[in-house]
Parts: sequence; structure tokens; C-alpha cells
Amino acid sequence: MSESIDRQLAIDVKGVTRVFPGRVTALAGLDLNVRYGEMVAITGPSGCGKSTLLNILAAIDSPTSGSVIVAGHDLAHIHDLSGYRRHEVGLVFQLHNLLPQLSTLSNVELPMFGCGWSAHQRRTRALELLAEVDLSGCEQRLPTELSGGERQRVAIARALANEPKILLADEPTGSLDSASTARFLDLLKRLESGGMTIVMVTHAPDVAANAQRVIEMRDGTVVNESVAK
Amino acid sequence: MSFFLLITRNVWSKKARSIGLTFAVAFAVLTVVTLGVTSSGLEQSAAAIISVGKADFTVVQKDVSDTLASTIDTQQLAGLRHTPGVTSAVGVLVEIEHINADNPVFIEIGISPGDFAGFGVRVVAGSAYAPTAAHEVMLGWRAAANLGLHVGSRFDANGTWNTVTGIYSTGNAFGDAGAMFPLPAIQGYNRVPGIVTLAFVKVAPGTSVAAVTRRVAFAQPVLTTIRTAAQFGRADRDLIYLQAAVTGSTVLAILIGAVIVGNIMLLSLFERTHEFGLMRAVGWTRRRMVALLLGESLLLALMGAALGVALSFAVAAGLAHLPALKGVLHPNFTEDVFWRALYTALGMTLIGALYPTIRAALLSPLKALSYE
Repeated sequence: MSESIDRQLAIDVKGVTRVFPGRVTALAGLDLNVRYGEMVAITGPSGCGKSTLLNILAAIDSPTSGSVIVAGHDLAHIHDLSGYRRHEVGLVFQLHNLLPQLSTLSNVELPMFGCGWSAHQRRTRALELLAEVDLSGCEQRLPTELSGGERQRVAIARALANEPKILLADEPTGSLDSASTARFLDLLKRLESGGMTIVMVTHAPDVAANAQRVIEMRDGTVVNESVAK
Repeated sequence: MSFFLLITRNVWSKKARSIGLTFAVAFAVLTVVTLGVTSSGLEQSAAAIISVGKADFTVVQKDVSDTLASTIDTQQLAGLRHTPGVTSAVGVLVEIEHINADNPVFIEIGISPGDFAGFGVRVVAGSAYAPTAAHEVMLGWRAAANLGLHVGSRFDANGTWNTVTGIYSTGNAFGDAGAMFPLPAIQGYNRVPGIVTLAFVKVAPGTSVAAVTRRVAFAQPVLTTIRTAAQFGRADRDLIYLQAAVTGSTVLAILIGAVIVGNIMLLSLFERTHEFGLMRAVGWTRRRMVALLLGESLLLALMGAALGVALSFAVAAGLAHLPALKGVLHPNFTEDVFWRALYTALGMTLIGALYPTIRAALLSPLKALSYE
């Protein structure tokens, strides 16, 4: 398998299908390539398979058939998917998914457990990340004490905790107001200019317009690709 | 944040789960510890009689339900005295009498004054009673102090008035809290002439006590020898039944506790499914999930054990003051009891938490994240 891996591609998806129980087809032979450092927006109507694709890239779901290679790893041949999730990809959800009982700082530290870092190293790294997303001073606040935009930035800081190569974001601005959305997109652009590969699922055309490439999906497959800028 | 701190935060934030689980463990520990200290206390009180006479071993009738119901006749006592290696065999008749509400279990020992030295009795005030006196008694110094009596006082026991001729000391708290009567008098009160309850045997210096006990067992198969409190527990059927009841109750308490812990953990699993899904999605391994959940359970088990032991102190003290148990029950908090509390807490928590923990670790991240 390793001979067929294209080292230039961050994501190389070939002929992926995902059929859920009840014969519901979410992905129908989808092909997709994303280069390192590229920011790609995936758009399409509800139920077209965008989130399913993202879940498969994040290795929290598996394809029924087809090949998925992310950061040089063929997901079908990875024994320890936990290690892949921890080190290769960072995941941002629509509803931030922060643990309410933990402080902002502790939420960012969460993916770092089991990486062999000391508590001090985890704390230092989390403080750096919070500074990077402009949330210095909010370390000890609980998620309930943050605005929606701030929570989403904490979620980004958490996704970046283990320096992943690829950031996967599922409708990250879906629950944000326009000011928070603008700030969030600025942050993504900063990450993109730093060389981060970003795949973002979104419904909003103005959000998608911030990506280098917009991929439109329908009925589980790619129907259109356009360069946004 | 350290992993331990994460565990404590989770324990603190899930208050209903934590309180429920801590109390479930605490009540099981309370049951086990209280049963343990009370049975051990009862056993110790019952076995205290064998340590009154400073003997190498005590002889009782075999297979009696209650050691104080043992009967050894004059011939058997003489046989003991003639066993090779035996230097003395003091026969005493022991009975328990309810004196008053403060002294519901008062020990009375019938013994000949000639056997005082061999039995370790020292007269500290007044004098010994006459060997065949009918209405004379000696009080242990603790009993005299408790009852407010002294030499010359009259002591109501065995349905008659007795004059206190002296105060004695045996150096044994149990013995010093009782009274001694002339042996024929107490045999007469109980209508068992020539009968004693126990025989306290001393062996010749340099002689193997074990060898002498074997000779006694061989020569008098209807008698049994006791050298330790544990052997007393095995000789007295009531204590055997008590120990069996305690063991059964302990197992039951642990099983019921484990079921309650399992239920609470399972409810917590449903409540935290989304959280567990998130942890798996951000790269937590199954092993780390197990460590987190077992860590939380063990912390709660330790808290429950501490609470249970604290409660058991209060409950055991309360039981010791119940009229029915006053003077009989002296709660015996030994190191062993605390280990038992710890094993109980950890055992029931691990048993109860095992299935929910494994289920949590095996959750599919996607299904857990979409769980409402």
C-alpha cells in the first residue's frame, strides 16, 4: 500500500463509500485530494455527506469501502487510531464540545494526556495556545462563562494541542454571530498562513469564500470544485 | 493539570454520583466493620474468661454450644491433675448474673481459696472467704469500685445476701470486674455439686504444653483444650455460628454494595456518554479511559471507606450502650478491621465499576458524540 501514497497530499480519498444501517448511503464513491497547507471548504445541502466525510477523516467513523490516506497514513491499516486522532488531526465541532466541569485551560490540556508530557509542560503548552487564540486571561474560566465565539476559539486551541498537521472543522461558525465568525475566520487564516492544512465543512458561502478551494458535495459525492481566491 | 487532579475535578463536579457512590460504599463498610468489631468484641469478651486464670491452657467440655455450659466432674478434674506433665489443675465454676442495669453481665467465679495462688488471685483488702462459707464473697477491685462496695458490705447475688470479706486483684480486667465465691456455695446455688465449668492447667517447667494437651485429648476425649482466643472461638459453637453469620453478612453487604455501585456507575456512564465520546475523539486511548474511571471509583471508594469507618465507631459505641449489650460488647477496633474496611470498599467498587468502565472504554466515539 505504501507505494501508492502520494507524499505531496495531506488528504487523499479514493472511491470512498459509507453506507449506514438501513442502506442509507452517505458517501457514494467520493474522491478528494487536499495538498499540505491548503485551506479547503466543503459545502453542500444538509445530508449530502459533508460531516460523514469529516468524521471519516478524523477516524471517528470508518468508510464502508474505498481508501483514505491522511498525512501519509492509510487509515484502514492503522492499528492505534487513538494515536492518529491525537497527533495527526485536530477536530473542531459546531458546538465546541468543551467539558463544562473543566476550566478553559484544562479543556485545552485534555488531548495532551497520554502524550508523555508532564503536567507543567501541558500547562505551558495550553497557555501558549490560549494566547495564540487571543484568550489570555480566560484560563480559569469555565466554558459557561465564555461567549460562543470564545468557546469556539478554545475548541481550536484544544484541536491544536498536539500540533496536528491537519485541522478538521465541522460547521465551526454555525452557532456564531457575524462578529465572532469574522474573528474565528481571521484565526483560521493565521493558521493557514502558518502552513496548517484546514478542511472546513460549512453551509455559509461567505465563510467558504475564505478558503483557497471550495468543494461542493451532493448525494455523497463531489459535484463541483472552485478556487475561491 | 495532573491526571489525579482531573480525577478529583470529575469526582467533585459529579456531586450526585459521588455522594451516592460514597454513601453506598460507606454503608457497606459500616456494616462490615461494625459486624467485625462487635463480633470480635463479643468473642474477646467470651474468651476473656480463659485469660483470668494464669494457666498454660484451659480445659472445657467438648462440643458445647456455650463454653459456660461446659461441665467437668470431679473424676475428670482428678484425671487432669494426674496427667503426666501437669503441675496443677484449678477447677472453677463460672456463671453470669444480671446484677443491675449497669451490670447486666456480671461474672461470678466459684473457686476454692486454696487455689487462689495457682489462679493468680491476690487479696488486696480484707481476707479470703472460708472454703465452705455459705454467704461470703470476694469482689474484684473493679467490681467493688463500680458497685461502690467495700470489705464488710453486703452484696446481693445468687438470690441471697453475701458479706464482702475481701477485695482481690487478678491483673485481668475481666476477672477484676467480677466476684468470687466459695466453690461449694456456688455449686449449691446452681444445683451442680461436684461440677466445675473450666479447668485451668499449668504444666511443669520445661515441659511441652502441646505434648500435655495431646495427652489430655487422648486420655479424656470428651474434653478439649484451649490455649488462645482463636481456639476458644473454635471450641464454642455459639461463636462459630456468630462468625459464620458475620461472614455471610459481610459477603452479602459487599454484593449489595457492588450492585448499587454498578447501578450508579452505569447511570453516570449514560450521563457522561458525550464526554467519553469527546475524549476518544481527541485521542484518548481505551486504557486511559479505564484509568480515569477506575481512578474516580477508587477515590470514591477510599472516601466511602473513611466515612464508613467513622460511622462504625459511632454505631459500635451506640450498640455497646444498648441495655441488652451493656457489659458484653466491647467493640474491638483492631488494625485488621481497618484493612477489612479497605478491602471491602475497594473490592465492591471494583466489582461494581468494572462493567460500566469497560462499556465506557468500548464506546464508539461517533456514537457517543451523537448521544443525547
